[in-house]
Amino acid sequence: MARSITYKYLPEDKVLLPPPDAKVATTACDYCIVACGYKVYTWPLGREGGPKASQNALKVNFPAGINTGKWISPNMHNVVHVDGEPHHALVVPDGDSKVVNVGGNHSIRGGALAQKCFNPNKPSQERLLSPMMRVRGTLQAISWDTAFEVMAGVSRHVLDRYGEHAWAMKTYSYQYFENTYAISKLAFGSIRTPAYAPHDKPGPGPDTPGLDWAGIDAFSASYEDWGAAEVIYFAGVDPWETKSVLFTTWIMHGKNPDKKLIFALPRKTTGVAWGEQRGGLFLPVIPGTDAVVQLAITRLILEKGWEDKAFIEKWIANQWEIDTGMGRGPRNTPVEWFTTWGRYGIDFAGYKKWILGYKYAELKTASEISGVPADLIRKAAEMLARPRPDGSRPKTSFMLEKGIYWCNNLGNTTSFSAMGLICGAGNRPGQMISRGGGHQRGWMGGAGYPMGLSPEKFPGRRKKEIDLDRWVVDGKLRFAWVIGTTWVQAMAGSQELMDSFEKMTRGNPHQIKSFDPKAAVETLKKRVDSGGMLVVDQDIYRVAPIGTEYADLVLPAATWGEEDFTRCNGERRLRLYSKFYDAPGEAQPDWWIIGGFARKMGFEGFDWKDSNDVFEEAARHGRGGVLNYHPLVVKAKQDGKRAHDLLREYGTEGIQTPIRMVGGKLVGTQRLHDTTLQLGPPEGPTVHPKWLTQFNSHSGKAVLMRSYWEDFQDFFEAVKPTGDELWVTNGRINEMWQSGFDDMRRPYIMQRWPYEFIEIHPDDARARGIESGDLVAIENDNVLVQTGGYLGVDDNDLSFTELRKAGHIKTSTGSFTAVAIVTDAVRKGVTFANFIWPSAPANSVVPRVPDPVTNRYRFKLGKGRIARIGESPYKRSFTSMTFAPRPIA
Amino acid sequence: MNEHAQSGERLCLSRRGFLLASGTAVSVTLLEGPLSVALGQGAALQRATYPRARIGRVSQLKADQPVTFQYPWKDANSTNMLVKLGREAGGGVGPARDIVAFSTLCTHMGGPLAGQYRAQHKIVGPCPLHLTTFDLTRHGMVVAGQATESLPQIVLETKGDEIWATGVMGLIYGYHSNLAPRA
Repeated sequence: MARSITYKYLPEDKVLLPPPDAKVATTACDYCIVACGYKVYTWPLGREGGPKASQNALKVNFPAGINTGKWISPNMHNVVHVDGEPHHALVVPDGDSKVVNVGGNHSIRGGALAQKCFNPNKPSQERLLSPMMRVRGTLQAISWDTAFEVMAGVSRHVLDRYGEHAWAMKTYSYQYFENTYAISKLAFGSIRTPAYAPHDKPGPGPDTPGLDWAGIDAFSASYEDWGAAEVIYFAGVDPWETKSVLFTTWIMHGKNPDKKLIFALPRKTTGVAWGEQRGGLFLPVIPGTDAVVQLAITRLILEKGWEDKAFIEKWIANQWEIDTGMGRGPRNTPVEWFTTWGRYGIDFAGYKKWILGYKYAELKTASEISGVPADLIRKAAEMLARPRPDGSRPKTSFMLEKGIYWCNNLGNTTSFSAMGLICGAGNRPGQMISRGGGHQRGWMGGAGYPMGLSPEKFPGRRKKEIDLDRWVVDGKLRFAWVIGTTWVQAMAGSQELMDSFEKMTRGNPHQIKSFDPKAAVETLKKRVDSGGMLVVDQDIYRVAPIGTEYADLVLPAATWGEEDFTRCNGERRLRLYSKFYDAPGEAQPDWWIIGGFARKMGFEGFDWKDSNDVFEEAARHGRGGVLNYHPLVVKAKQDGKRAHDLLREYGTEGIQTPIRMVGGKLVGTQRLHDTTLQLGPPEGPTVHPKWLTQFNSHSGKAVLMRSYWEDFQDFFEAVKPTGDELWVTNGRINEMWQSGFDDMRRPYIMQRWPYEFIEIHPDDARARGIESGDLVAIENDNVLVQTGGYLGVDDNDLSFTELRKAGHIKTSTGSFTAVAIVTDAVRKGVTFANFIWPSAPANSVVPRVPDPVTNRYRFKLGKGRIARIGESPYKRSFTSMTFAPRPIA
Repeated sequence: MNEHAQSGERLCLSRRGFLLASGTAVSVTLLEGPLSVALGQGAALQRATYPRARIGRVSQLKADQPVTFQYPWKDANSTNMLVKLGREAGGGVGPARDIVAFSTLCTHMGGPLAGQYRAQHKIVGPCPLHLTTFDLTRHGMVVAGQATESLPQIVLETKGDEIWATGVMGLIYGYHSNLAPRA
């Protein structure tokens, strides 16, 4: 880290205005779950608009007014190619928006969307431009046809000789309906492989089982609900960090701007500081211990009799309703193996009796385990549920995110939903239980996951989704196709995973030496027959190391703005993300690439002409689901339009799924499980699932589930820091999105975050001689990883204790470097790093032992010893990085 | 040691020194005269021409007590704060190179930052609209928040005790061009 590489951002003092005849397209932000509405203005080079309203396409007199949402910053401008000709492009928050980002509010990420666009004169020139094959060690350009021929040749061999289990895909789950539909149709429909994992977890399955199995859809709330709530409990999330506009528009304002906020987090963030200042609470939890805090709050509420009795009477399932029924319900869910024994789901009376006698729900015990002062837990219970003197209750909503579900996945999410339900939340305006969300909702399954083929099984009868990382480490894969994800650094215990990839690709003696596809296929057959693997990486940039080191084929994808795409945001709002400029080089959208490969394999049903074709075909697969847009496609056909074009007419407002047809018109659905929603008979293509107005269980009632600290305790004790180790937890930081794939091409963002950081408490820093700006090494020589253990037979076979006894837990190591930020925003004993800085991955110090019931990683529970290396170049720079405190309100 | 000290610039940083230290490629033509001087329009992006204006005296500044001034225009958008941070800063002038000046409109959506200076941390903010904060020792870099540009820094020079504004680094909120802000 030489001094010369510190970033120096060069601000501009002028921005071009769009002339009145500039072309306007609507889109939404590519990044976080909120998906703010944007307008894109494009016009040929050589012209510009003027500062009078009549002289520009914004119809604004400059200077633009304060908080009008009509100002353009220089980072909103870029030069792109449209039909081969250079054009100016302005990507501007929609100042006329009445939904989501009302009045043109936006985040630092979305506000700089224009810099994402390919420009040969800017850092985005690093985009992948052609398919490439690694020949004699170097990735070189080839044709699409050669790429498909090599992939198909190797795939046929792998499927014939090793079966579908050896043929894997690791892809994003969210990058537009058109692409995920094509991916799932190929993987699950045509290949029928169980070896599939989404970008952020080792296999498919629910992230928040405590919600799903209670009958609560994770995205049932609308942004109006967060705005209308009087109290909100945030578990493992501060929406100010990366759900910016959800916080700055809906939580700071909304229908009830005086709401009280309670945050349970190991780290004080800006939203927390703002909430505290306005009478809210900050519960500084030790990582991984939320369940006991939530249980203690629930118990206090029940001890005081503050529960919502009328709601519980009407909406909480009784024992008969839990135990019977053929539809969705704990008897018939993926967790049947444990609910069969009646361990979790229980009626209200039973739940109350259980929690009042449960040791880990006692205030004193919970306070000791979680590190949260008892008084704060008591205050939280009071704020959430204590009825007012007139008997009315506060309208309380509950938001959770990865801070709790990537720790103790099952225990944290079940105790969370139970806490929300006894407060009467989940099915009415301002009183909802939902995720805040990470990425947007862009999965449209073209076929179901072939669970029956999965190599994993719970004790009892139920199959379990694959843990694809363990499958790699155990040497079971021969072909892996990676689309739009960093894979290795994004997964837990990442350095162990990296070693496995290295061994099976570059470490194999059979390397391609010819551009002749037949010769390449023969070489790769020898590789897979000698225990090796072919990795194909499809992305918009070269991704290290999966694309730069392990892949023999690299495929260039077209992305946001380069194709018409669709998806939903965190309140299920469906929008068209318009194409407005040319994809660079030979880059193609992912659905097109999937189609090319599938046709080469001889699969039918992949002959789409354009993305609208895919969108229309996919619609029928979403019928009956939360993201159902099928009525839009039917309506478009009735009107003689393409479905994309009809959606385009809805602009940045879009329409909330599931879409219904009422009186011949399309109507959106504001919230799910909505007891205030009046439904007539379903019209035309409209589907009325029970969960529109009731909970998503076969009885329509919500299920209380017990949470046992003992289920998690063995693992927690094994991974918690000892001696001079500290917790090394991780998460998002507002100014960056995901792995920084775009941010790293934004000089403006790189001046702020030029390298991985780690926040450390002043006492911990002093003890190690660390100051802000010092470069430190974080090392964990006790990274626990699971190998084998695919089949459970007896009840506890997959628990950490039993896995360890059976020899399935081994110790690995991990390390990364980071720039220290000394701050009391983190608890003593806890440090916090960016969750995925690809060149210095915090996940390398995270254990790779998934939740035994849900297969979810415990990403937040890393630990390590931290030592000073020396000064970073940023310590005394005036141009790169700042060490000023963030949580200031 | 910091970059500026190592670069061997003379103590009282010249505008040229400021710009180099800030890494910018902007070249500036000096234009003597009062604010009211009519400015040429259509200045190329990389060649800005700013007026010079005397905005204060080193001897009259008290540490951590910002004073307001107008530059480069007299409208509300051109409101800035001049502050002696008491800590060396990027682009700082004066004997301790701790005197800096910044626009007081947030570059997110124009929220008012006047009165939001936090002496303890040398930051300004949080903006009352959406809580963005800016580091005044680091050329107005966002500490946390939503602004898509750093807070525009007013380029300063000292002539003896006098402090002169001689340019603006970054587009001021509301303007589409610092030099031709209105029709």
